[in-house]
Amino acid sequence: MTWKRQFARFRALFARQKPSDDLGEEFRAHLAMEEQDNLEAGMSPDEAHYAALRRFGNVTLAEEGSTEMWKWLWFEQLIQDVRYGLGQLRRKPGYTAVAVLTLALGIGANTAIFSLIDAVRLRMLPVEKPDELLLVERYNPRWGEASTSFTNTLWEQVRDQQDVFSGAFAWSSDKLDLARGGAVHPANTVWVSGGFFNTLGLRPAAGRLIAASDDQRGCPAVAVLSYGFWQDHYGGAASAIGSTLSLNDHPFEVIGVAPSGFFGMDVGEKFDAAAPICATAIIDGEKTRLDHRSWWWLSVAGRVKPGLSRSQLSARLKVLSPSILTAAVPHDWSADGQQNFVKQFLVADSAATGLSSLRRQFDEPLQVLMGVVGLVLLIACANIASLMLARAAARHKEIAVRQALGASRGRLIRQLLTECLMLSLLGALLGVLFARWGTALLVRYISTARNTVFLDLSLDGRVLGFTIAIAALTAILFGLLPALRSTSVSLTSAMKGSQALEVDRPARFRSRRWIVATQVALSMVLLVAAGLLLRSFAKLATLDIGFDRNNVLMVMADLKTAKIAPEQQLATYDEIERRLSALPGVVSVGRSVMTPLSGGAWNNSIHTDWSKALTGDDVLAWFNFVSPGFLGTLHMTLLAGRNFNSGDTKASPAVAIVNQTLARRFFPGLNPIGKTFRIEDHADKLGAPVEVVGIVRDAKYESLRVEIHPTALFPAAQVPDHSSTETFELRSAIPPSALVGPAQAAVASVNKQIPLQFHTLAELANDSMVQERLLALLSGFFGALALLLAMIGLYGTLSYQVTQRRTEFGVRMALGAGAGSILRLVLGNLIAVLAAGLGAGVLISLAATRVLQQMLFGLGPRDAVTMIAAGGVLSIVALIAGYIPARRATKVDPMVALRYE
Amino acid sequence: MAKRSEQDRIELVYGTLDMLILRTLRWGPTHGHGIAKSIERMSEDALKVEHGSLYPALQRLQQEGWITAEWGVSKNNQRAKYYQLTESGRRKLRAETSRWERFVRAISGVLKPAESEKTS
Repeated sequence: MTWKRQFARFRALFARQKPSDDLGEEFRAHLAMEEQDNLEAGMSPDEAHYAALRRFGNVTLAEEGSTEMWKWLWFEQLIQDVRYGLGQLRRKPGYTAVAVLTLALGIGANTAIFSLIDAVRLRMLPVEKPDELLLVERYNPRWGEASTSFTNTLWEQVRDQQDVFSGAFAWSSDKLDLARGGAVHPANTVWVSGGFFNTLGLRPAAGRLIAASDDQRGCPAVAVLSYGFWQDHYGGAASAIGSTLSLNDHPFEVIGVAPSGFFGMDVGEKFDAAAPICATAIIDGEKTRLDHRSWWWLSVAGRVKPGLSRSQLSARLKVLSPSILTAAVPHDWSADGQQNFVKQFLVADSAATGLSSLRRQFDEPLQVLMGVVGLVLLIACANIASLMLARAAARHKEIAVRQALGASRGRLIRQLLTECLMLSLLGALLGVLFARWGTALLVRYISTARNTVFLDLSLDGRVLGFTIAIAALTAILFGLLPALRSTSVSLTSAMKGSQALEVDRPARFRSRRWIVATQVALSMVLLVAAGLLLRSFAKLATLDIGFDRNNVLMVMADLKTAKIAPEQQLATYDEIERRLSALPGVVSVGRSVMTPLSGGAWNNSIHTDWSKALTGDDVLAWFNFVSPGFLGTLHMTLLAGRNFNSGDTKASPAVAIVNQTLARRFFPGLNPIGKTFRIEDHADKLGAPVEVVGIVRDAKYESLRVEIHPTALFPAAQVPDHSSTETFELRSAIPPSALVGPAQAAVASVNKQIPLQFHTLAELANDSMVQERLLALLSGFFGALALLLAMIGLYGTLSYQVTQRRTEFGVRMALGAGAGSILRLVLGNLIAVLAAGLGAGVLISLAATRVLQQMLFGLGPRDAVTMIAAGGVLSIVALIAGYIPARRATKVDPMVALRYE
Repeated sequence: MAKRSEQDRIELVYGTLDMLILRTLRWGPTHGHGIAKSIERMSEDALKVEHGSLYPALQRLQQEGWITAEWGVSKNNQRAKYYQLTESGRRKLRAETSRWERFVRAISGVLKPAESEKTS
């Protein structure tokens, strides 16, 4: 059909005067002329009139034929189908509700996971022409890896030497404290270079944004608020401009507000305030990160110059790299390290969707979840398909009648599919509601105690398109087979109204059996995946981490922000520790520089006389500085030697307690107590010898997932000057959260200015399992859902089959078959289907679960226990679902059944 | 008007009606009744065309842009719609005619030997 005709129809749809109005007049003219001709040929007036009509033929048909051409026939038929379908759905509210609810769960789950994927990795930044933005990375040819972090020195070199970007900018996310002492009120602060807002093409919502002139060494402290922060804290008042914002107890002048909808460059976070990079000097004091050549804190991006291709840009960056890198080489690195440093080169990657650590952390889990919810939807489809097949049998006569009245098979299939489409669109509508609610829940769920995840989850075209597409696909998946099957009816047998549709029955049962077997197989795959992830999480959660995480409150204190001089810090920490131990409910107190399980790590190379053979990362050891009370408070076991005590001071010899892993690696086969190791300082120089005085049982360090490191603990009294925050661990006899108030008061009694953060150790432990917990929870939920759907599907299929074969069972029983043999007959069928499904499921699982490898902890993707358990659970559920209808088959009264015929 | 028996009338091959209409309009604009009459005349009544079935075809041809329609007055002072061939209609007619001729040649090529076998 040509576009011209389509257009003519389109016009006719809206034309006031329809072609059919003209037609009547045209026909009348035609008939009058013919009549005239006939009269002239000598007929009588009556004869002439009827002859003209006869010659014309069927007027209505001619009219329909002429007007039909002007309409979108399919459109009118669609409306007809929709109206008919609505009637059908209304007539069976139970069936409709079950189908819509099942679909809503399936489609909703898919939409929820997809909108997370969309928010985390697909959504473009709400800035001007985001696809022109490129992220600058350092590519290290030796490791074959690219890093996105830059030092300020390196960034300044990039800024001054590059000629490929029309604008380049750098930024870094930080958390600064809004409160002045006491409990910390963290503000997500982003340090931005002078070109940040300008290059992104953002306009202020109020005041002005940070410009190049604000980002000069020695700059005054200014800040731009995010729109949300401005609304929440200032009620959007214009007076906010020019007011003072306290960050880490330093005053920043508010100069403007960023536009609404802009949450920052980092996806998964939203910033509260932005300040120029140069202002870090105000926070840092003397040891400023501005000139620190191995403080990797900035991300760098730029807007590509118009007309420059990506390959031209890459080539140019590579040419510029040696001079940029040479100018920023870290002087305190070893010669080898420096050489490697200048051999790197800069590359560019798309920054259109922003930067996100969430992406790294949740990319794979989200993909796995997408697969899981896809399976759930397939199982739901299978369920509805078998539901539809059963219903198709019930509508047998209706279909036959319509066919007898002349409806073509294509037309009927279209009508049945329209019905399916309506079901799945209704499901999608409800599903989108489920998804909105579900994603919000999920985002809260992946937020940790210390890091609130923020994602822009507003519904966008991509998510809606995805939902509509899967709804349509779903409709075809569950509707096509039943539609095809139910329209291939033999008219005569249907009209006879007999239940014995001998010809059709085997085929009908076979397709349902296929559906059930598929469902069992898919459920099996899902259960295996869920089982693996659940077991993996359970292993992680019950892992022996080397200390007791329960009933410990962690109090992180920041003496530097409180402006306490370095030489007074040790005494202040000791004093706080003493006051905290005196609190009622506190069993014991310890303190450490590194907070256990916080994700932070401090490591360096160490050397002993027996470690010469170690190379690469094997020479690394992880460090912590702890007070004498630390080991006891965390219930860590000292295996040999002594704990630290008040005799270990700054003046006394350097000592360390090492863990078993360190002892094994650096003192193989020896008793390390009394022996020494040396720490490799900057540029290949070894520090003074440290004597090992104790061995502690292995324990986790920064995260539950990471293997236990060789760890050395040093006395808190011997901590180097530059440490500014320490964490107090309080073993509590009462719920740890009840200690927050008293602990805060105790610290304030020492110094009111000290910012404090409170967490429980259990909380930190949970946070380091966030990914595993998410996967376990969701896959467990969907696994259970799949099991339920499979159970309903099996039950429905078998019930239907039993009803259909009631006569046959009646005859069998009349001929002397016992209840047992009928039961065996029905269950035998089920077991055959079950076995086929399980077999296929195991095969698919073996092939598919390999993608889980990275996400599993403490077991492999082909874990036999999980497979057997999943198969067992599925079989038991299937047999329960099958037993009920099978029992009913044995209750058939032969007389009643036979009377039906 | 000479009447022939119904059996002698040839049912129209699908699509040929379009060609006949276009052909009729080659001699100038005319109304539906005129078209019907001239098809009858041209085929010496061999083609059975129910006049009513002309109109869907006329609508189709209008949509394709091969003919246009305009209200006018017939010689008996009757208001009637006059159809006229467009330039693209002319082209279409030429193409259809040559296609038809090829078709007829091909069919007669197939049929002739069979007929001669029968008669011999």
